[in-house]
Amino acid sequence: MSTTAVKIREPIDWTGIFFAVVLTLVIVAPLLVVGTWAFTNVWRFPSVIPQEFGLKFWYQTLARADVWSSITMSLTLATTVTVLSAVICLPAAYAFARLDFPGRDILFFSFLAGHAFPKFGLLVAIAGIFLQLNLIGTFWGVVLIQLVGTLLFMIWIPVAAFQSVDRRMEEAARDVGASPLRVFWSITLPQAGPTIAAAILLSFVGTFYETEGAWLIGAPQVRTLPVLMISFINNQPVIQYGAVLSVLLWVPSFIALLFARRVVNSGSFAKGFGA
Amino acid sequence: MTSIEAGALAPAPTQRKRPIGLLLVAVPVLLVLWLIIWPIISAVIQTLWLPAPDGGRTLSVSSYEFFVSDPYSRANLAITLWTTGVCAVLLLVICLPIALYLRFSNSKIAAYVQGLAIFPMFVPSIILSFAFIRVLGPNGTVDLLLNSVGLPKIKSPYLTPWGPVIGLVWDNIPLTVLILLSGLGNVSNQAIEAARDVGAGRFALLWHIILPRISNSILVAISFAVLGIFSAFTLPYVLGPAAPEMMGPFMQRTFRDLFDPTNAITQAVITFGFCIVFGLFYVRSVAKNRTP
Repeated sequence: MSTTAVKIREPIDWTGIFFAVVLTLVIVAPLLVVGTWAFTNVWRFPSVIPQEFGLKFWYQTLARADVWSSITMSLTLATTVTVLSAVICLPAAYAFARLDFPGRDILFFSFLAGHAFPKFGLLVAIAGIFLQLNLIGTFWGVVLIQLVGTLLFMIWIPVAAFQSVDRRMEEAARDVGASPLRVFWSITLPQAGPTIAAAILLSFVGTFYETEGAWLIGAPQVRTLPVLMISFINNQPVIQYGAVLSVLLWVPSFIALLFARRVVNSGSFAKGFGA
Repeated sequence: MTSIEAGALAPAPTQRKRPIGLLLVAVPVLLVLWLIIWPIISAVIQTLWLPAPDGGRTLSVSSYEFFVSDPYSRANLAITLWTTGVCAVLLLVICLPIALYLRFSNSKIAAYVQGLAIFPMFVPSIILSFAFIRVLGPNGTVDLLLNSVGLPKIKSPYLTPWGPVIGLVWDNIPLTVLILLSGLGNVSNQAIEAARDVGAGRFALLWHIILPRISNSILVAISFAVLGIFSAFTLPYVLGPAAPEMMGPFMQRTFRDLFDPTNAITQAVITFGFCIVFGLFYVRSVAKNRTP
């Protein structure tokens, strides 16, 4: 250490301040505007701030039958898809991670197939198949199309989880006489669990917001919350309904944000997208 | 959560060939075959093997001829190509400086900037559409603010081709920044310092040292964005003009409103054709990260 400690002032990070200000204006401000609208009773042009704040439109929005039916529909759909996806994908992920079988590599990479094509084009091609099977406009048609969308994440992420489990602990448990099921339950699952839970959460949230398949296959019979939101944007003159619905609609994403932020910020997340 | 790439599909540790594995993976694999591979093959067959006047079916390219000869279809394809191109360029112009800043800064502000850049990932595009209309639409917040200081209203991008461009760029910022940032991780500080020592300026540094090292990441980011934007549906449907429309809303309307699946699927096959290079490149990059 130098004895003549000169206090060097850190240079001001002007670039950072510039990006911070611009991104705040462009990314945060529009969402704050929506949040403000949701808690506004009266906001007429050209007043810069609302004339009257209040919860009037929360009561009105939550009193609408179409809002409740689409919330129920969205939750039922997302739960059905996530449960089905977990039931079929987790055993498959275990097999990919632990067992050797013919065609293992090619089957593992087959889940990428859907990502080589523009998504909506693929949905239209699938809709062509569903048309012949009379699945258009049905609940199970939407379940199937959303289920396909979850396969890649629900297999690839749990495979990584199963592979990162410490094999020596499993073998040690076997050596002292634990049954395979007991080993899986007491050793494998607790270690792989958090990652698998994250995959399940991502699936649920992803399915909850899936709009394009639900709109193309399900509308108008199957009306999820995002689909209702599209019709509010297109046809609803009362702005606050859309604003309140936006706030409601954001809840699952907010939960995902709390859990997933650390994951997303890690470099490996981007690698999963091919970076 | 463990990293995705940590789980590269290493050889299965137990070298017993056990067909039971096939049984466990059967259902998801069959789903992929039935709902991804088969629809694509079927789409091509269905649009080339058309019903003939005599009641049978015959090989014909007439649905493609119709697309090419129809001025409205061509205009929709053109606006889609334009939107995709403009978005790709804007994304690079916006995200590369942000990623460069995040890579080479360790100030407290950088963490905030990174948080903001990733935030749109947690905003569903339908909420984004609504926010867009409230801010940039007629009598939106921008108009309110301009009006309060006595300036004229803006010419709103809502329901113009710029509407989807703004929305799609906003939506794609997080992954583009993350992919570029991941690529910049491969640029070593030594390489930068060595170039600085021999007197390279900022631009020379960017052009000769950084860009060549992240060119693959740039291509991946662009491929991912193009695949998402070319057939985007929600944002163009809500924010874009009614005519000409992008391929996403066009296919949806042809399929559901005009009850014309053959032409809708023809349009889908055409979007596949335009994106196939990006799709294969993208999938190859993802797969490469995953194999040891």
